[in-house]
Amino acid sequence: MAGGDLRPASATAGHGSFVEVVAVCVRYLPLLIMMAVWELAGRSGLVSQQMLPGVGAIAAAFFDLLQSGELVINAWRSLSRAAAGLGLAVIIGMAIGLLMATRPLFRNVINPIVRILYPMPKSALIPLVMIWFGLGDASKIFLIFLGCLLPVIVSAYHGARGVNPFVIWSATSLGASKEEVLREIILPAALPDILAGCRTALAFSFILMVSSEFVIAKDGLGFLIGSLGDGGNYPAMFAVILTVAGTGFVADRLFGSFVNHCLRWKEQA
Amino acid sequence: MSTLSALLKREGLMQALVLAGLALVWEASSRAGWVHPFLLPPLSDVLVRLFTDMQSGAVFVDLGLTLYRALTGFVIAAVLAVPLGILMARKRGVQWFFDPLISIGFPMPKIAFVPIFILWFDIYDTSKVIMITFSCFFPIVTATYSGTSHIDKWPLWSARSLGASENQLLREIILPLAAPSILTGLQIALPVGMITTIVTEMLMGGSGVGGAMIAAGRFADSVGVFAGIMEIAILGMVVIRALDRLRARLLVWHPENRAH
Amino acid sequence: MTADFGIKIEGVSHAYGGGQSGLASGTLALKQTDLLIGHHEFHALLGPSGCGKSTLLYLIGGFIPVQTGSISTQKGPVTAPGPDRSIVFQNFALFPWKTVLENVMYGLQKKGLPEAECREIAQAHIKLVQLGGFEQAYPSQLSGGMQQRAAIARTLAVDPDILLMDEPFGALDAQTRRVMQEELRMIWKKRPKTVVFVTHDVHEAVFLADRISIMSARPGRIEHQIDTGLGPERDESTLTDRRFVELGEQIWRLVREQAVLASRGGL
Repeated sequence: MAGGDLRPASATAGHGSFVEVVAVCVRYLPLLIMMAVWELAGRSGLVSQQMLPGVGAIAAAFFDLLQSGELVINAWRSLSRAAAGLGLAVIIGMAIGLLMATRPLFRNVINPIVRILYPMPKSALIPLVMIWFGLGDASKIFLIFLGCLLPVIVSAYHGARGVNPFVIWSATSLGASKEEVLREIILPAALPDILAGCRTALAFSFILMVSSEFVIAKDGLGFLIGSLGDGGNYPAMFAVILTVAGTGFVADRLFGSFVNHCLRWKEQA
Repeated sequence: MSTLSALLKREGLMQALVLAGLALVWEASSRAGWVHPFLLPPLSDVLVRLFTDMQSGAVFVDLGLTLYRALTGFVIAAVLAVPLGILMARKRGVQWFFDPLISIGFPMPKIAFVPIFILWFDIYDTSKVIMITFSCFFPIVTATYSGTSHIDKWPLWSARSLGASENQLLREIILPLAAPSILTGLQIALPVGMITTIVTEMLMGGSGVGGAMIAAGRFADSVGVFAGIMEIAILGMVVIRALDRLRARLLVWHPENRAH
Repeated sequence: MTADFGIKIEGVSHAYGGGQSGLASGTLALKQTDLLIGHHEFHALLGPSGCGKSTLLYLIGGFIPVQTGSISTQKGPVTAPGPDRSIVFQNFALFPWKTVLENVMYGLQKKGLPEAECREIAQAHIKLVQLGGFEQAYPSQLSGGMQQRAAIARTLAVDPDILLMDEPFGALDAQTRRVMQEELRMIWKKRPKTVVFVTHDVHEAVFLADRISIMSARPGRIEHQIDTGLGPERDESTLTDRRFVELGEQIWRLVREQAVLASRGGL
């Protein structure tokens, strides 16, 4: 960063790299232990291989699925639905939340609807979207959209309402108009809350994507898991489940570093 | 004071009017044929169905089963996760072993593991409850761990200097100070648990609102689907309100309750 | 032309929580306040907490609407916030997502100045408050004193006719506070402005101001007005000046009366 005299530069690269490698190993050792227990449970015959396929069998099944293209196609179908629903929810939810915070009339109209929809478990809407949109993409996108919309609305609303009024007064006394205050002051000030809401929404998008594909789908990762399970191909089923779990994990971490980048102005203490 | 309550009343009135207006538009649009009644059955039909199902008791059986599964899974998760979270914050060894597992498990979509639990525990209540516990566990343990590790040291030092033993410290100082975070974890976990309950019921059957709804959906009984959504919406609201109340009651001392 | 005044306050009353015109209900924060502040005068508003001195400042700033009476400046009656009456708050109120430079540039950009000129003026003001080298730092990386310097630079950069200060050094430690007071007085000498400075610190008011208004306990009104008569030069030696010490004691007695009244619950 410029003006770098503010904080000492981090330790130079290479310094203690061996120590760092050991530290990482020690940190992730529990994961290896769990994998070893898993593998041994199957090998020793304590648990049937049918119920708990070995790590090797799952890896092999994973590469088979990858080579056949099945995994990639279904992952693409699933993730594009999740992204479409989530993206729409973020844009529309932010607009609704900010308007609710700044326009009392709008708030009064929207608030009762939000209060009814917010606590409802959105998976209950799966049969409804099936009736409305059939088994195709639209039903799942709409479900994910609705599920992600409410956390974004609520976080944008609370973020915008919680803005320090003196910061807003400062901006107006420096000559900012009402609309500039909304865009240049309230929006960035509410950003930490909005991003936290988006992160919740991201988690919901995965949950609803997989659930809806379990129940109503002709393709997608959830559907693939179900059909592999029905066919008794358990190593492959485990492989796809772990793929979904891993993808969810990676998506969350990527979003987390995006958040850190956006909020680098916050106290890093 | 009086003007504030008047304003609140006016907002309440406004919101009631909005809801009444929505109900009216719903009823009218399907009655008048603007929307096909299969896609949006008249509100009155849905209410009539709810009423007859209440008379036959079917609603209460379904709601009761759903609530029983959700709460059982949720409570088991809380009983396991809160002590583990506190231990992680207090004991380095526990923290070393569980931290990587939980930080990887927390952001994963746990719902994807449903087929594994079906494979292991079949499709009955055991499997549903374990799945719900699994979903609720991670938010609670994460919040408890983070809340307990970020406790202010001043109250701890004060209590120590006033002669509190380690046990008393845990019960009388650490637990209350971590309570806001723990409750936040529970408040995150409960809706996740409800979502999971509905999905497991849809996938495994065995009655409950989720099972009843998916059956209605398969038989193209859209009135049944809407009735189910209403039941779940009410159940969700009641359960979440109850937890909010619990929080307010447990945290009377906390500044967050001063504003209201 | 109008008379040579900075701010004219006539018959201003203000009630909170009483609806639009409800002087009857709600809490009366200000009652029938009159005050004339001269052009380029450094004026301190002094009083116990809750005496309505911040309310009066916010009314001058145009942040809350005038209910009764009138407030006017050389530019006419006050109706809304504007860059001719810029303000510095106790809690700094910097934009935390902007760097120091971006914070100081904000008001200049709102004036529609070209980017290069904004940057130049902002840089000059950052130097003026002795924050050179911290242009690219975010507020969260600065100490309280440095944050307040940045806030002062941001306010001065738009070159307001009137500078409003709402207990600007209240959140700072005693040493920093003393340094900031000396610097503020120095900056004001270089760039004379009409200043309204709200504080509850008697010595701060005496050290900084040309004239001091002492406000009464709620409902607030101006109880006494005192010319400090300490001359334009204020520095270390002012603190031991006999007049400074005597004024401090005299004013402290007046403020104490009001503070005792206020702590009895304003009955």
